[in-house]
Amino acid sequence: MSTEPRADCRADTGGEVTFRLRLPSATHPRLLLALRPKKGRPEQKTRTLDLEPTGDDGAFGAVLEPEPPLEEGRWDAYVLRGPDAERERLRPGLRDVRALVDGGSRDRSSPVAVRVPYTTLDGFLSLRAWRRTAHAEAGAIAIADGAMTVRVRPHGATLSAAAVALLRLRGDKDTVRDVPVRPAEDGDFTFTVDYGALVAENGGARVWNVFLRPAPGAPLIRVGRILDDLADRKGSFVYPQVTVGGSVVRPYYTVDNDLSVEVTAAG
Amino acid sequence: MKISFLLHNAYAIGGTIATTFNLAGALAQRHDVEIVSVLRNRERPSLTLHPRVRLRALVDLRHEEDHPLHGRPAKVFPSAEYRHGQYSELTDQRIGACLQDIDADVVVGTRPGLNVHLALQAPDRVLRVGQEHLTLDNHHAGLRTVLRRAYRRLDVLTTVTRADADSYRRKMRLPGVRVEALPNSVPDPTLSPADGTGRIVIAAGRLVPVKRYDLIIDAFARVVAEHPDWQLRIYGRGEEKAGLRARIEQLGLWNNVFLMGAATPMEAEWVKGSIGVCASDFEPFGMTIVEAMRCGLPVVSTDCPYGPGEIIEDGVDGRLVPPGDAAALGAALLDLVRDDERRRRMGGAALADARRFAPGPVVAQAERLFQEAIEARGGAGHGTPAPAGLPHTLRTGGYAARDLVRAAASGALRTVRKGRR
Repeated sequence: MSTEPRADCRADTGGEVTFRLRLPSATHPRLLLALRPKKGRPEQKTRTLDLEPTGDDGAFGAVLEPEPPLEEGRWDAYVLRGPDAERERLRPGLRDVRALVDGGSRDRSSPVAVRVPYTTLDGFLSLRAWRRTAHAEAGAIAIADGAMTVRVRPHGATLSAAAVALLRLRGDKDTVRDVPVRPAEDGDFTFTVDYGALVAENGGARVWNVFLRPAPGAPLIRVGRILDDLADRKGSFVYPQVTVGGSVVRPYYTVDNDLSVEVTAAG
Repeated sequence: MKISFLLHNAYAIGGTIATTFNLAGALAQRHDVEIVSVLRNRERPSLTLHPRVRLRALVDLRHEEDHPLHGRPAKVFPSAEYRHGQYSELTDQRIGACLQDIDADVVVGTRPGLNVHLALQAPDRVLRVGQEHLTLDNHHAGLRTVLRRAYRRLDVLTTVTRADADSYRRKMRLPGVRVEALPNSVPDPTLSPADGTGRIVIAAGRLVPVKRYDLIIDAFARVVAEHPDWQLRIYGRGEEKAGLRARIEQLGLWNNVFLMGAATPMEAEWVKGSIGVCASDFEPFGMTIVEAMRCGLPVVSTDCPYGPGEIIEDGVDGRLVPPGDAAALGAALLDLVRDDERRRRMGGAALADARRFAPGPVVAQAERLFQEAIEARGGAGHGTPAPAGLPHTLRTGGYAARDLVRAAASGALRTVRKGRR
């Protein structure tokens, strides 16, 4: 078997993340989190944590405190076994993120900051971080009669009576559709989008990003689903597609867990 | 003891692989243990193997997929075996050579075709242990005929349930072969158990028809109608995925039922849930049931042959319902969803009752079984010649037959093949 370092981690409701790993014969090891840069850009942001012995031989632990929040993105985890050691990418052990499952039911203040430990596609340990001035957490999406009704809960912002949900065409900031937002029970809101308003006259493919505008002139809040235990839901939270004229419409979560609506040509 | 496990593909994901890794890892505390994987298709195993267990592969498909001998059908590995299509003259040769040279006291086969290899090709000096992870009744008649002949040449045959061991004793004449149930083991969980407060029902396994995930989805529709805040998470991948997705959409359950893909280790997923569910029509053991229980989840399962009924005590640490009955499955789930106190009590019972499947007790049984079988054969283990005066009869009729097979291997193979028809 490989001797690649493997770390267990645990996330708590307040944003703290605890790491545990075994490092035989390490001296003053550290855990490094590096914000994955955009393709072709150099790495710039890192966070280093001291790994302290936890009693057992060769066992070390580190705590990532809730403050300050991590910048939004994917933070890859590495270990440095000694002061001059090369960094080694960490594999995930047990990721105990059960405390995050119900995260959508707790109210958050601005800025909304979240971290979810996850396993990358190529099998390494990473932290998915979101940090937003305000956030609108999507809940159930009802789909019927050529329309979708989204349940949503704002965090870090208050909706006025004139609040709207706004869909903006990706790649064209000036093409928008807006619909009223209605209060629902438990502090939630709902809005209904008629798919007919989203399809192109020529049946072309397009994607709409979904936002809330809390009041006229206020900054937009992205609608997404980031407050539970799932760092990546694109493949598991899948919604039915509906044919409208010559187009097929379906809501989906992007790789960043933001809600969008995809329109493609039918057939 | 030196113990070798012969496994189909240690690099894939499945119940047999998981349980073999568990048993091998636990035995490695006191013994020299290796896993021989007939096939290899990736760099590292998907499941986590104990570092003291050595792993080697016989055919590396990444380089040898196009080997000329791999294109020719296997002759030793029986054609009546389900996996025959993945075996070849190349695997015949490599497995044969591996067994001829093997430096072990005990060799354990982990599926019918590999048990046949063991029976026909393992040298006399090793104890031949065949493991059946499926059930006799589920094998088709052609395979049963092959196994009836070949298994006489094993020293030990283990099944995963008592019911299946009874079945082998009753329906196959295996004189002198020790047939015993050896349940699968599940490692002691590292995480604290689920506390029963979650609102997630969890199922896990390959997405194949026999697992009846369609039934779980139908049953869960009843739960959602009454408790829309509950989720069902289904872990695993497989051919049924598109069909299950369509079912979720038909029933309008996309806000509550999620196909999560494969997750390893499952332990961190089980603890997010508060009920486990299994709807299989057929479950030779029920590894995921034990995994869930060891994480503190009561499991609602069909009472299918044979595993669930030997794991779950109905109404105490889980529920058993008739196979194929979505209404009964839904009602049993709802009983536990509605009643927080009962769910927590049954979760606690599940945690306690599933300890009998911990590696400790299971490994102790395996050690005793191997040791007694070695002693019964008249050898004390590797390198110890059978004491003079202990005749072959002690080693069952299969011993002589085995020598005969090797003396006229092709003839014996022909007989075996004829027996299939």
